[in-house]
Formats: sequence, structure tokens, C-alpha cells
Amino acid sequence: MTTPRTIIHNARLVDPASGRDATGGLVVENSLIVDVGPHIGPDLRKAAPGRDTIIDARAKVLAPGLIDLRVKTGEPGGEYKETLETASLAAAAGGVTSFVVMPDTDPVIDSVALVDFLRRRASAEADVKVKVYPAGGLTVGLDGQRMSELGLMREAGAVLFTNGDHAIEDAGVLRRAMQYASAFDGLIASRADTHSLTRGSVMNAGAFAARLGLRGAPLEAEWIAVDRDIILAEATGARLLVDTISTGRALAAVERAKDKGVQVACSVAAYSLFFNELDVGDYLTYCKVFPPFRSESDRLALIDGLARGAIDAVVSAHDPQPPEDKRLPIADAAYGAVGLETLLSALLRLVAADDVSLLAALRPVTIGPAELLGLPQGRLSIGAPADLILFDPDTPWLCVREDLLSRSQNSPFDGRRLEGRVLRTWVDGRTVFERN
Amino acid sequence: MADFAYAFPHRHLLGIGGLNRLDIEELLNLGDRYVELNQRRVKHADVLAGQTLVNLFFESSTRTQSSFEIAGRRLGADVVTMSVATSSLKKGETLVDTAMTLNAMRPDLLVIRHQSSGAVKLLSRKVDCAVINAGDGTHEHPTQALLDALTIRRRIGDIGGLRIAICGDILHSRVARSNVALLNVLGAQIHLIAPRTLTPPGAADWGATVFTDMRKGLEGCDVVMMLRLQQERMDGAYLPSAREFFHFYGLDAEKLAHAKATAFVMHPGPMNRGVEIESSIADHKTRSLITEQVEMGVAIRMAVLETLARNAPETGARNR
Repeated sequence: MTTPRTIIHNARLVDPASGRDATGGLVVENSLIVDVGPHIGPDLRKAAPGRDTIIDARAKVLAPGLIDLRVKTGEPGGEYKETLETASLAAAAGGVTSFVVMPDTDPVIDSVALVDFLRRRASAEADVKVKVYPAGGLTVGLDGQRMSELGLMREAGAVLFTNGDHAIEDAGVLRRAMQYASAFDGLIASRADTHSLTRGSVMNAGAFAARLGLRGAPLEAEWIAVDRDIILAEATGARLLVDTISTGRALAAVERAKDKGVQVACSVAAYSLFFNELDVGDYLTYCKVFPPFRSESDRLALIDGLARGAIDAVVSAHDPQPPEDKRLPIADAAYGAVGLETLLSALLRLVAADDVSLLAALRPVTIGPAELLGLPQGRLSIGAPADLILFDPDTPWLCVREDLLSRSQNSPFDGRRLEGRVLRTWVDGRTVFERN
Repeated sequence: MADFAYAFPHRHLLGIGGLNRLDIEELLNLGDRYVELNQRRVKHADVLAGQTLVNLFFESSTRTQSSFEIAGRRLGADVVTMSVATSSLKKGETLVDTAMTLNAMRPDLLVIRHQSSGAVKLLSRKVDCAVINAGDGTHEHPTQALLDALTIRRRIGDIGGLRIAICGDILHSRVARSNVALLNVLGAQIHLIAPRTLTPPGAADWGATVFTDMRKGLEGCDVVMMLRLQQERMDGAYLPSAREFFHFYGLDAEKLAHAKATAFVMHPGPMNRGVEIESSIADHKTRSLITEQVEMGVAIRMAVLETLARNAPETGARNR
């Protein structure tokens, strides 16, 4: 008796890892992709009557499930904002099949026990629909001073190390953490921020913030941090992920460092590709995020970078905040926006506008982050886990906050028209989401 | 009913931004009439009889708060003033909850001051009555700009073409933002004078010329508006010291001599004597308009209250 298979045919296969964008099909067996290519058609039915599940993709796009390197939930300590379970529902609906959770929780994920706790919670398959990977806190309690047990956390399953939302101010602390982690090739994510320049900021610094009477985060806070962290990565030989850059100049600095052979990668929040500072408009607290929405020229520079493959990862920067923390004067409101359900659509809008190809848009949410973390998924290749999404890149939809599946619905995309929706999501060959 | 044809089209007064020349002139004209009324022995009008005015002050204020109170009472409204010290915000109620609670009591006019930019706008979305911004953070203070304009207009005449200097802590000043917006609409030529650390980014695009040298900035000015310098800016963070600030930016007779010989001096108060302005200038009998500004404040607030009350929908017709 052979095991049942799932055969998806008549699909537009889009796989940034191989550069494939062609009609064909894919076969899943035992949670893995066992065959993929143009030769897989409906005739396979003859070979497997009654045993296999045959799916006609109707020429929609079949791509690897998305991998999101920056997600915050409220678990542990802030379950009223979001749990791993509610985040995974939102993720599955948004086509995200793997995500990394940040250590900024209560308590902070800075020890083996807490990494293990998250691993166990995430593997409660009945509740958590997608793959969840913990990021370990780089310093104890994210205090920016004492290095946490990086090696032990790595053995327990932490995929990268980061000080979360709080950039490490002390260059000596960061340098030693990089030196230490470089011994086991650990990936260190560092927020591109110089906090002494952005303390109390609400939005991008500049003429618009000045008119609104709001404190701004200046560009140089990001530029200084990116330059410093790249220099430290170069000096220590560590692998560095510059976390959510928002300016063209920071991207250029990363590209120059790559050319020199420094092991540096960068991520960009999807909202930075979609919004500019003017979207903050009349003090919209759902648009209060960090890094803030920047100028239109920075947004365009990042889209250029996406098109030429310079951005290694695009992240949702999912950060759920309930109304009581958002329905406040903007200076008092919490930072953060949910993003798991709008990550793909934000990218597809750039494709619809002919700014980037579909392959270029999907690379930093599939094979890009998979390679940074050394994960086997994120590609349509034989032997890879069957983490897949089927989507229609052209379906228009109206994002309505109340319809989002996250426990918190603080989305700047509320009321926006978006393009492209996920029809079905598989994790390890199992359907975890299907849109009616 | 007013006897001019133009109908003020706004439900709230949240800022000068969004007002056009006609809006501003209507308020100033009505303000003129209330100046006359306020100079009589019997100052009562009954245009707001039976209406409720709530002053909600999250940031302490003596002059603006009492100015709105007096304005409301002279128009015959029932006036209630709440300051943050006595409100339930201290008990953890959110700002929006406070606004909704007040709204359920069906006030007709709500005057709000808050320390956060945009807070008054936020509250205006949650209530049914007319909202007047009495100062929000470092954003706007529209009635101050209107009273300043009324003061200048009554003393000099048409504001169009006048050269007006605004000096001091522009960065943190809502008075400066509202004044720049208003004086631009009325066609004044604006000089902003401040040290670089207190000049907002992009101020040169505000329709003003920016100066760091006060003497140059004052040249040819008809009016010199001084701004209050907050104590906490003088501690070495934005400025080396109060003494150094006074040396370069404090208004004294010598610096004032660079303006027109007839130039008037204004200040929104409260003043730091010896920091941004010398006492002899502040108290100058012919050139200081500072107490006159306070008088105009009551009149312009009466004009604003009456105008917005006229626009308000009937209580029974409101939603929620």
C-alpha cells in the first residue's frame, strides 16, 4: 500500500529559489514535495484512482509558503494582544507558513527554558497552524548589558539572536556578543536605531512632523546604527541581519558591505514599501510604527532595492496592540501594526504596479529568509517540506480592520484597496487555510 | 443672527490650518463687535442662553481657561470647567472614555487643551458637540492666533503687507504654528527668529524667512511677537543657559531699535521676564500690546463660541 498523495496541477509555479515561473504541477507525499514540474498534469489521475487528492489550481499561482522573520505575539505575558494560536490563524490566512517570534515578551525569551517553552507551545499542532521559530534575546532581559546564553539557546532551537525593539547602545556589548556568536555562526539581528536620537519620536522627522507638532525620528539615527553594526560585523566576522531598515542610504550601506564580503543581510518591513510619512495624516495612531513611514523617495529607493534583489527579507513586523493602547493621542499611543495578513498583498501591489516581478517580490519572503536561517522550506524543490500557498495575484479586496483574524486589529491598511489574496495554505502538506 | 452673508462652514475650530481668509475675517469682525460690548458696563449677550460650555483642561492654564470661562458666561452659557487634577483620568480612565462620558451629558461646546499634539482632533471624532482647540501639544492654538490678529488689526489696520517677527522657541510653540498659518493667509511677511536648536525642520518652507541673528530678523518689522521659553529647554539640552539665550534672543531696547521705530511688541504670556523679554519693554506704555492681547482674547473667544454654536446641529437630531 502506497501512501496517499496530493497532486496539484494546472498551476503557475513561482519559485524564486530556482527562478521558475511556469505552468505545471506538484506532488506531495508524506508532507514533502516529491515531484514538481511541467510534466505533472491531470493525466496522473489514471495512475492513482481513489487514493490521491487531485487539485486543479485553475492557473493560479502556487508558491512556497512565506517565511516571516519578524513577528511579535503577546505570548507569553500579553495574551490579550495576541497568542501564538491567533497569530498562526492570521499567518495561515496571509500565506505565512513559518515565522520567527521576537523575544520582547514578558518574561523576555532570554533563556533555554523560555526557548523550550515556545518550541513546545508552537508544536501544539491542534492550536498553532504554522511553523513558529523563537528568536533568542541577545542580552538578559534585553537590558543591553549582559550577554544571554546564546549557545544553549541555539541548541534549544533559537534561530537567531536579537535585542528585539531595543537597539544595543553599548558598542562593546554588541561587539562581544558578535564575537561569541561567530564561533557557531549564529545570526545576530540588530535594530537599525540610535536610540538617543529617536527617543520619544512619533513619526519620520522632517517638515511634515514639524507642522503637526510631533517629535520625529531623524534618518541619521538609522544611518549611524547601520554603519556601526556593519563595522562591528566586519571586525568580528559575525553574521549580521540589519533589522528593518527604512532608508535608501542604509540599504546602500548594506550593499557596499556585501560587496566587500561582510556577512550582512537586511530586512525591510512591508509597510515601508507601501506607505510614506504623509499617510500619518491626521495623527493616525495605527500608522505609528518603528521605524516610521519615511519620505516617498526612501520608499522608492527600497522598492528599487527589492527589484534588484538587494533586500534579503521582507517582514510583516507584526506587532499587535489593542485599542486601549492605540486609541490615545499619538504621542502616548503604542508603536506597532499587525501585518501577517497584509504581507503578501503589500508585495503583490508592487507587482501589479509593475515595480517588481513576482519572482523578485517573493524572493525575500521565501528562499531569502530560508537561507538566512538555514531552513529546508521556502522552495518548490523535491525533498523540501510541502509548505505551500495558492493565490490569485489579481483579486482585488478591501482591507477592513474588523475582518482581520489577529486578536488585535491595529492595521494601517484598514480601508485600503489591496490586490492578491491567498486561496489555500498548506503546512507540511496539510491544508491549514482555505478561502471559501 | 449675524447680518453678513458668509456662513462659517466649520463644525469645530481645531486649528488655523483649514481656515480661509473669509473664515478668519468673519471671526475677527465678530470679535470687533464683542470688544465694544466688553467695554460697556453691562457686558451680557444671550446668544448662548441655555447652552452648556465645558472647558476640559488637561494641561494647566490660567489665562486661556479663565478667558474661555468669561467669554462663555458673557454670552449666557452655562459654563463648567474641568481640570485634569479633578478628573477621573487619574483613576485610569482613558482620554477617549472621558470624552464619551462628557459627550453623554450633551454639552453644546467643548473647549479642550491637552499636552499632546493631535489629542483635540482625536476627541473631536468621538463627540457630537462643537470642539474648540485651546492648545494641543506643540501643534496649534488657534484662538491665540486669532486674538493676536485682532490686536494687530485694531492697532495698525490691515495685516496684509505688514512685516511681523516671531521670536524664540518656535520648535515647541503651538502659538507660532497657528500664527504662521494665520498671518500667511492674511498676507503678512513673516520673520522667524530662533537659535537653530529651536527652529523646526523645514521652517523655511512655512512661508516665512528664518533668521538666527535677531537684529537682522527684526529689521523693518511692524510687530515683534515674543514666545515663552519653557524652563526645561534652558538646562543645557537645547540651549546652554537662560543667560546666553537672553544675550542673543532676549528682547531689550537695543535689539528692538532694529525694528521699525513704531513697532509693537506682543507676547502670548505667561512671560519669563529677563529671559525672553526685558521688563521695560514688556511694560512699555505705547509699544507693548501684551495686556491688550488678553482683552482681545475674551472678545475673540466670544466670537468663536457664538459662530460654532450657530453651526451646531440640534441636540435631539444628533446621532448616538
